[in-house]
Amino acid sequence: MSSLAPNASIDYKTLVQDDRIHASLYTDPRIFDDELERIFRRAWVFVGHDSEIPRQGDFVTRHVGTEPVIMVRGKGGAVSVLVNRCMHRGTMVCPAERGNARTFTCPYHGWTYDVSGELLGVPYPGGYAAFDKSAHGLTRAPRVSSYRGFVFASLSGTGMPLAEHLGSATRLIDRSCDLSPAGQVELTAGWVKHRCAANWKALPENDSDGYHLGFVHRALFSTVRSQYQRVVGDEKAIKAVVRDWGNGHMEIDWSPGYQGPFEWLGGASGSVVDDFVAALERRDGPETTRRRILEGPAHALIFPNLFLGETNIAIVQPVSVEECVHWHTPMFLKGVPEFNGRLLRMAEAGMGPASFLMPEDLTVASRNQLGLHARTVAWLELGRGLNRERVDSEGRTVSHVTDETTNRALWRHYRAVMTEA
Amino acid sequence: MVSDAEYRAVVEFLYKEARLADEARYADWLALWTDDGVYWVPATTDPGADPDKHLSHIYDNRGRLETRIKLLQTGHRYSQEPASLMRRLISNIEVAAADDGELVAESNFILAELAVQAKREMHWWVGRTTHRLRRVDGELKMCRKTVVLVNAAEPLPNLSFLI
Repeated sequence: MSSLAPNASIDYKTLVQDDRIHASLYTDPRIFDDELERIFRRAWVFVGHDSEIPRQGDFVTRHVGTEPVIMVRGKGGAVSVLVNRCMHRGTMVCPAERGNARTFTCPYHGWTYDVSGELLGVPYPGGYAAFDKSAHGLTRAPRVSSYRGFVFASLSGTGMPLAEHLGSATRLIDRSCDLSPAGQVELTAGWVKHRCAANWKALPENDSDGYHLGFVHRALFSTVRSQYQRVVGDEKAIKAVVRDWGNGHMEIDWSPGYQGPFEWLGGASGSVVDDFVAALERRDGPETTRRRILEGPAHALIFPNLFLGETNIAIVQPVSVEECVHWHTPMFLKGVPEFNGRLLRMAEAGMGPASFLMPEDLTVASRNQLGLHARTVAWLELGRGLNRERVDSEGRTVSHVTDETTNRALWRHYRAVMTEA
Repeated sequence: MVSDAEYRAVVEFLYKEARLADEARYADWLALWTDDGVYWVPATTDPGADPDKHLSHIYDNRGRLETRIKLLQTGHRYSQEPASLMRRLISNIEVAAADDGELVAESNFILAELAVQAKREMHWWVGRTTHRLRRVDGELKMCRKTVVLVNAAEPLPNLSFLI
């Protein structure tokens, strides 16, 4: 168990300033260890979605930080997040990525647990004078909570509740889920995992960076027309914004630049679309429906590791100080299975190692990682847009889509988490 | 069973396709495809994978295949700029005739890729390929290429070259 206090020799208030951050935040393994403790153990971390494990015994294996866990639907239908480690000698009990199980049996000495993690039996129990099975169940994440099917876990028994961590950013999740006539998204297409030779924080920063598009993605924009074309023109003509939702959550909102419905889907028409719109109108009325199909799903980062990537859901997995993995899956809208094929093809176009966007992002991220090893210049600029960002009526900072308001949102929260008592 | 001549023609096609992909000769590689071509790299090794239900790494029809090539030709596809240095070996080639006269070739490959765009890492790609080939105006063309990577479901580095 790592210590609860951050590394005493690291002064996060100096490393994270309002308009610049220190390169060691991406390269120092001691800082990575502190992050595992303060961000990925104490705080809330996205693990998976209800729709991935619909039946009792369904499970997926994931990581909370670098901790291997099993997200499983146990007896009675409750979702548990179990540490994937036998209580006897530490063996990983479940090597599969997903499946359905009645029990988890350790291959080493046969200790067997039920799907809620309770220890059912130990072979040759005569070797123990007194053995309390109830004290040797798989360790559970002490706090598991979900919002609209998005399951989060904290490996700490204390801390702010999930609702407080999410705050008003639940509206970002709502924005995506409410596009489904059933009010639910389904993550059933499987995940693609994209390996990145960079510090994990490069991914949430890049996922919410509206400045890079016309440069990093020049190949795509010069080849194919897309909804992003409007953010690569004249600076003053760009209407999209970035927004800080607090607690490290932030978004790019393209919708002020959209001129019609379904631009986020690259356009849509036909009887399936008409039926879809009619179903939303029955639930929400015409005005709200018009707004929903214009705005589309959120492009937002829920701190620290959940990316609502418009029609995709992505997970940021830290591996080591210089390596991380970007997971993604298409966000299917329950109630409109006719959209699934299209959402699948959009996911393959946008994200993953063979897609038309992310390989460029991760190439640049890994070039960042190389550049950040220079120490002659130790600071990264973080000040873009400080001259023009504004606070809206709900207290959220908003600015031009190319401004570093999102980076500052992440780092301000990071500094608070890394320095709190 | 196919004739020795047919087997030899298929092997020559596979070798040529591999060389064009290795050497980033994008237009020449694209010319090996039929207009109804489907290029599929599943994200799982599960033989029951369905590209209409499950996410793939690549599931290109002809239109998307052309976009893939155009991106590589812009000079701004930074994940392949400069292009990776690659050589692949193809082996264990088995060829069968389909009912419709097309040929189905299965083979294994090992591909060494030096990704020179950032860290200059050596990546090893291993898998099994199924080519479906059709004679068009006397020339063999690919109408389907499916590549099942041994590590299809694991975290992969950039795969924006032609596998």
